[in-house]
Amino acid sequence: MTLDLTATIVFGVLFLFVTWLGFIAARWRKADLNLLHEWGLGGRRFGTVVTWFLLGGDLYTAYTFIAVPALVFGKGAMGFFAVPYTILIYPILYIVFPRLWAIAHERGHVTAADYVRDRFGSRTLALAFALTGIVATMPYIALQLVGMEVVIGALGFPAGGLLGHLPLIIAFTILAAFTYTSGLRAPALIAVVKDMLIFITVFAAVVIIPAKLGGYGAIFASVPPEKLILAPPSGDNFGAYSAYATLALGSALALFLYPHAMTGILSSSSGNVIRRNAALLAAYSFILGLIALLGYMAIAAGVDKAPAYAAGFTQYGANFAVPALFLASFPSWFVGIAFAAIAIGALVPAAIMSIACANLFTRNLYKEFLHPNCSDADEARVAKIVSLVVKIGAVVFILAIPQAYAIQLQLLGGIWIIQLLPPILLGLYSRGFNALALLIGWVVGTAIGTTMAATQGFAASVYPLEILGVTIPGYAALYSVAINLLLAVLLSPLFDLVGRRTAAPSAR
Amino acid sequence: MAGEQQRPNWLRRYWPRLLFLLPLIAILSVPFYNRLEPTLGGVPFFYWYQLAWILLGAGVVLLVFTIEAKIARAPKSSSGDTTGIPGDIL
Repeated sequence: MTLDLTATIVFGVLFLFVTWLGFIAARWRKADLNLLHEWGLGGRRFGTVVTWFLLGGDLYTAYTFIAVPALVFGKGAMGFFAVPYTILIYPILYIVFPRLWAIAHERGHVTAADYVRDRFGSRTLALAFALTGIVATMPYIALQLVGMEVVIGALGFPAGGLLGHLPLIIAFTILAAFTYTSGLRAPALIAVVKDMLIFITVFAAVVIIPAKLGGYGAIFASVPPEKLILAPPSGDNFGAYSAYATLALGSALALFLYPHAMTGILSSSSGNVIRRNAALLAAYSFILGLIALLGYMAIAAGVDKAPAYAAGFTQYGANFAVPALFLASFPSWFVGIAFAAIAIGALVPAAIMSIACANLFTRNLYKEFLHPNCSDADEARVAKIVSLVVKIGAVVFILAIPQAYAIQLQLLGGIWIIQLLPPILLGLYSRGFNALALLIGWVVGTAIGTTMAATQGFAASVYPLEILGVTIPGYAALYSVAINLLLAVLLSPLFDLVGRRTAAPSAR
Repeated sequence: MAGEQQRPNWLRRYWPRLLFLLPLIAILSVPFYNRLEPTLGGVPFFYWYQLAWILLGAGVVLLVFTIEAKIARAPKSSSGDTTGIPGDIL
């Protein structure tokens, strides 16, 4: 591939623009950024509109825009599970999180680990939360880089070698710099621009590309019929049906437990902001549904068979489907806009994720175990430095380790993060649960979920559960968290009974 | 938060949330929507059904929010409603 100069210039200009935005964001709603809740939660003052952009930018990432259509492109109907998943997240967001917000706001919690520390009076449980959050988020940040790398490669930059990685390193250095100075305000402001670009790109794509390919009927007609719907189950095996439903439900339950989603929620200004967003965020889901269909458009356009894109597909696999489709369908200047949308779409979540990890480390490891008496300014300073370390870690991760590992780790991350659900959920309605029982539930759930993934060679998260001779393939995260919840609920009264209450509840 | 004896109160306030069962059932009934026909403008049923439920799901959330806001306002009209605060919107 040769470098597409027009597209690269448009791309570069847009990138410079958001860089400038990222730095001036420090002056937006000016406050003392030497306080952790100002730097790391934007002062908890984001209203419905800003929260909408922030959560949207947070949840619908560059990796989503590349990987979801790539999955539909490669696997067909099964890849569409991202759509039912996004339908299910909003009731969960509505029911659970305004309440969590209210508790966190009243008690000054910055992270989910702060919350369980306070609810159940257990430092160990909080430590488990912090470690799970950081470990599950790191590969997620690395995958944002994958999304960015694919579009940079598609612009025609040479792949591989130090020169090939240079654009990526520059982009992440810029990201690290403005996150350091502006905190959560930077991704919040950039998210607005990113979404404008994404909306323009997607609307252009779903109008122009089908028109070129002869309409949606022709697109679906060109997809092999066995890909269009799920394979019906046979015999004593629920097959793709249970896998599809549990993947959607399990992913939905896991989503808001991720530290970056929690950060987005806690930075909003009220419970009603969250409730309104539970309805309004559906706009993103709809866009995601349309983006998923880009996978079929790529099949219909036959980009994988075009010699011009062969090198890209060899390098990036199915992830190259959407960039190739854009290159084949749009004029150069618009390709620049579309690719900038995806690359900036990587910056926003990567910034929020690194801030969320920094908050966890500072609050629940540094302050809790290392320097209990550190000052507020000290706390914010450590968080800023950790946000840098996290991003350097992600870059090293993606440059030094095969990409397949990042994907496998992200898959495991989903299984690990969902194990935080029982303490969060139970803590909303009662603080009477035994911390040791919750901890045992967490350990067992994590172990079982990881084992289930291991039996599939860490290549898939669907585990064929056998009950009474019937095989029910399902999302390992959902199965393991069910055991986690069951243990927590059953063991809690038991432990209380034998007087093994590990910690007295804190004040109130 | 609510004690055992206050359950009916809890139900009176939060019953609209039962509506959330609708999208849940719609999504979990995979065998029902795993079909090609009827198509809509060339789009197989499997796809337009789920895309439509994104909008219907948002509608349900909006409905629950509206009803609950009304219920919360009814007994004590002066407090509880923070809709008017400007910082709440932007």
